[in-house]
Amino acid sequence: MKTIVSAAALVAASLLAIPASAANLVLYTSQPNEDAQATVDGFMAANPDIKVDWVRDGTPKIIAKLQAEIQAGNPVADLLLIADMVTLERLKEDGKLLAYKSPEAAQYDATLYDADGYYYSTKLITTGIMYNTSAAMKPTSWKDLTKPEAKGLVTMPSPLASGAALIHAQTLAADPGLGWDFYKSLAENGAIAAGGNGAVLKSVASGEKAYGMVVDYLPIRENAKGAPVEFVFPSEGVSAVTEPVGILASSKNAEAAKKFVDYVLSEKGQEGFVKLGYIPARNGMKLPEGFPARDTIKVLPIHAADALKNTDQDLKTFSGIYGSN
Amino acid sequence: MQFSARSGNSQPAWLFPFIVITVLVLSVLPLARLAMAGIAAFASGGVIDVLSEPSLWQATYYTLVTSVLGTIVSLLIGCPFAFLLTLTDIPGKGPLSFFFVLPMMIPPQVTALAWVQMSGPSSPLLKALSLAPPLGSPQPLYSVGGIALLYGVQHAPLVYLALRAGLMTLPRDGVEAARLSGASSFRVFRDIILPLSLPGIIAGAAISFVSCTGNFGIPAILGIPALIFTLPTLIFTKFSAFTSRTFGDVAVLSGIIAMISVAGLMIQDRALRGRDYRVIGLSGANAAFELGVSRFVFTPLLWAILFFMLAAPFFALVAGALVPAYGVPLTFKTMSLHAFQEILFRQAVTRTAFVNSISLAGATALCLLVVTVLTAYALTRRKDAVSRFVASLIEIPYSLPGIVMAVAFILVFAAPIPFLHISLYGTIWIILIAYFSSFFAVSLKPVVSAFHQLDPALEEAARLSGAGFFRRLSDIIVPLIAPAAGASVILVFLIACNELTISALLWSAGTQTLGVAIYNLDDSGSSDLASALSVLVVLMVVAMMLLLELLAKRLPKGVVPWRN
Repeated sequence: MKTIVSAAALVAASLLAIPASAANLVLYTSQPNEDAQATVDGFMAANPDIKVDWVRDGTPKIIAKLQAEIQAGNPVADLLLIADMVTLERLKEDGKLLAYKSPEAAQYDATLYDADGYYYSTKLITTGIMYNTSAAMKPTSWKDLTKPEAKGLVTMPSPLASGAALIHAQTLAADPGLGWDFYKSLAENGAIAAGGNGAVLKSVASGEKAYGMVVDYLPIRENAKGAPVEFVFPSEGVSAVTEPVGILASSKNAEAAKKFVDYVLSEKGQEGFVKLGYIPARNGMKLPEGFPARDTIKVLPIHAADALKNTDQDLKTFSGIYGSN
Repeated sequence: MQFSARSGNSQPAWLFPFIVITVLVLSVLPLARLAMAGIAAFASGGVIDVLSEPSLWQATYYTLVTSVLGTIVSLLIGCPFAFLLTLTDIPGKGPLSFFFVLPMMIPPQVTALAWVQMSGPSSPLLKALSLAPPLGSPQPLYSVGGIALLYGVQHAPLVYLALRAGLMTLPRDGVEAARLSGASSFRVFRDIILPLSLPGIIAGAAISFVSCTGNFGIPAILGIPALIFTLPTLIFTKFSAFTSRTFGDVAVLSGIIAMISVAGLMIQDRALRGRDYRVIGLSGANAAFELGVSRFVFTPLLWAILFFMLAAPFFALVAGALVPAYGVPLTFKTMSLHAFQEILFRQAVTRTAFVNSISLAGATALCLLVVTVLTAYALTRRKDAVSRFVASLIEIPYSLPGIVMAVAFILVFAAPIPFLHISLYGTIWIILIAYFSSFFAVSLKPVVSAFHQLDPALEEAARLSGAGFFRRLSDIIVPLIAPAAGASVILVFLIACNELTISALLWSAGTQTLGVAIYNLDDSGSSDLASALSVLVVLMVVAMMLLLELLAKRLPKGVVPWRN
C-alpha cells in the first residue's frame, strides 16, 4: 500500500508542478528573444509588482495565434508589440483594441501614433540591404540587386512570415521607380523569399547568399559582434515599420497594460531600445551606434489605409512572383 | 465457486469500465471529432476548396517522396547494423547499440539543426577547419534529398530494432545444418537468414515510413527555407495564417496524413500476412557468424558511420553555440559562452520551457503509469475480444502523426467545455491531455510485457488467502513489475520531454515546451541560442538513457530497446 500511496503522492506533486500562468500581463511580440526579454526585464525593474510573460513569433504568426485564441473564446494576450501599424489598424477596425491616451504621446510625432490612442509607435525599423563582406559588389541601390553580379545570391524575408517584410514589399511596390516590376526582375535574377528577417541574416552572414533585404538592427548589431556583414541604406530610400504597442480590448489587466505602454514610450523605455540598437521613435533621442544621422535616412512613404486595403491582393501578387506558400 | 465464470479473474467491477472510459476520452473522442470535422467540411462543400489548392497536392507529393526516400535510407543504415550487431561476434556490441539508438531519442529539430551547423557555408565547424564551401554555395540539406537523409538517420534505429527483434528468434539449428552441409557464410545469409528476416525488414520499413510522414521538426527546419512543404509543415503554416476557415482546412489536411499513415500500416499488414514464418528449433542466433579478419573492416566502419551520424553533428552544434555571431569562424579567441549564459540565466522562455517540458513529461509518465498498471492488469487477465479491441484503440493515437492528434484535440477543446465553461485551448492542460493520448501505448508496452512474465499463481495464492485487489496490487504485483514500471516512466518521460509536433500547435503564452523553444529560437534568427539549448537537451537525453542502462539488469527482456 505504501508504494501506491507514495506513487499517488508523486503523481499529485507532478500535476501541481505544472505551472498555471501566474503572470499579470501577457505580451505578444515580434521582437527577437533577447530584445523581448530585455524590454520585459526593463519594465519589470520599473514596476516590480507586475509580472510579464511574453511570447515571440513573427507578426503574421502571432496574429494568427491570437485570432485562433479569440475564435476559441480564450485570448491570452493583454498587449501587442508587433512590427507594423497596418496590422494594428486592422485590429482596431475589428474592435479588438482598447483606446488609451498615454501622457507620453506629447513627445512623439503625430504621424507615429493613433489619434484615438489605440496604438503607439515605439521605434523605427528600416529595411535596407545587407551584404556579406566577402561579396564582390557593394550595393548602393535597390536596383543593384538585379545586376548579373547578384545572380542567385539575393534573399529576402517573406511577407507571409514577417510584418516588416510585408510593409517593405508594399512600400517598394508602390514606389513609381521600382514597383512590382522590380520584384519580378529580382525573381528572374534568382532571388528567393522565405522565412523571416532572422533567416535572411543567417543566410547572408553564413555566406549561403551574398545579399539580403533585411531590417537594419540585425546586421548592424551582428557587425559589431564581428560578423562579416555590412548594412547599407539604398539611395532610393528605405521602407520603415514602427513596431507599435497596443492593448487588447479583452485584456484582464488593462491598468497594468497601460503602465507598460507608458513605460515603452517613456525616456527610460526608449533608451532601452537604443541600447538594443534600434532607432527610437521618441523625439530628441540619440541614435544607437552604427547608424547615420537620422535626417540623412530617407524613408519611403507608405499610405497605411491603402496598404491595409491592398494587403490580401499584395500577398497574392508576391506569392505569384516568388511561389511562396 | 463464485469466480468460476472467469477463473483467476477477480478484478473489481469498476476496473474495466474505468479503462474503457479512459480509452474513449483519449482515443475515440478526439478521432471521432476529427472525422466529424472532415465530414462537415465535405458536406458544406468547403473540402473542394481545400482539395483544389495546388499547395495541398504539392505537400502530399513531397510528404510521399521524402518519406519513401527516407525509408530507403533508414533501411540502408539500419539493416547492416542489425545484421552485424545481432548475428556476428563484432566487439563492442553494447556501446554500438546504445549509440545507434540515440538519434531516435534526440528531438528531430535538434538533429536538423546539428546537421545544418555541420554542412554548408554556414558551418562554424567547417569554417574552423577552413573547409567551408565558398560564398553563395547553397546549403545542400535544404532540399528533398536533405530531408530524406535526415529522416533516414532519425528512423534507422526503428528499422534496426524491428529487424533485430526478428533476428533474435532465428533458429540456430537451421544455420548449423546448412553449415555442416558445407554452405558458405554468404549462402547461409542469402538462403536462410535473409528470407527469414524479411518480416522484420518490412515491419521496420513500415514503421519508418509512418514516422517519416508524421515528422515535423526536420521538414520545418530544412524544408521551409527552401519552400518545400510536407503535410505537417503545411498544417503548421496554415495555422500561422489563421483565417475563419483554418480549423476546417486543417481537419481535412490531417485526415489526409492519417490516411497515408494507415495505408502504410495496412501495406505492412498485407505484406506480412500470408507468409508463415513459424520456425522450429532453438532460437537465439547469437554470433551465428564469426567475422574473423573482416572484423577489422566492419568494426571501424560502424564506428565511422556513428561518428558521422552522431559525433560530428554534435560537435557542430556545440560550435554553433560557441560562436559569438553568424559567419564568425570558431577559434579559441572568438569562442564565447554568451549563448549558454543567455539561455540559462537571462531568457525567461528557456526556463519556462524547461519547467514546462519536465513537468509535462513527468506528469504524463507518472499519471499514465497509474493508468497503465491497471490497464495491463485488466487486459492480461481478461484476454477476450473486447480487451483486444480496447488494446488496439490504445495503439491508434500513438501510430498516428502527432500533428493529427494535436488538431483533433484542438477541435475537441477549441470551444469551452459544455456545462463547465472552462476553456482548455491555450492552456497547458490541452498539451497534457494530448500527451496522455499519444504516449499511452508507449507507457503500456513495458508494463504489459512484465505482466506476461508474472506467474498468476502468486496472485491467486494471495487472493485465496483473502487479500483484496489493492492489497494484491501493492504487495505482489507492483513490486514484481517495478523495474518495468520504471522503464515505462523513463521512456515516456524521454519522448514527452523532447516532443515538438503536438506542442508546436498547442502552445501558448507561458506553455512553451523545449521543442517549441528550440524551434522558435532558430526561427527568429538566434541559432546560437537554439544550438545552446539543443546541446543541453542532448546531454539530458544521454543522461536519461544511461539511467535506463543502469536499470536494465533488473528489467524484463525487450524493455530497454537497445539492449540484447
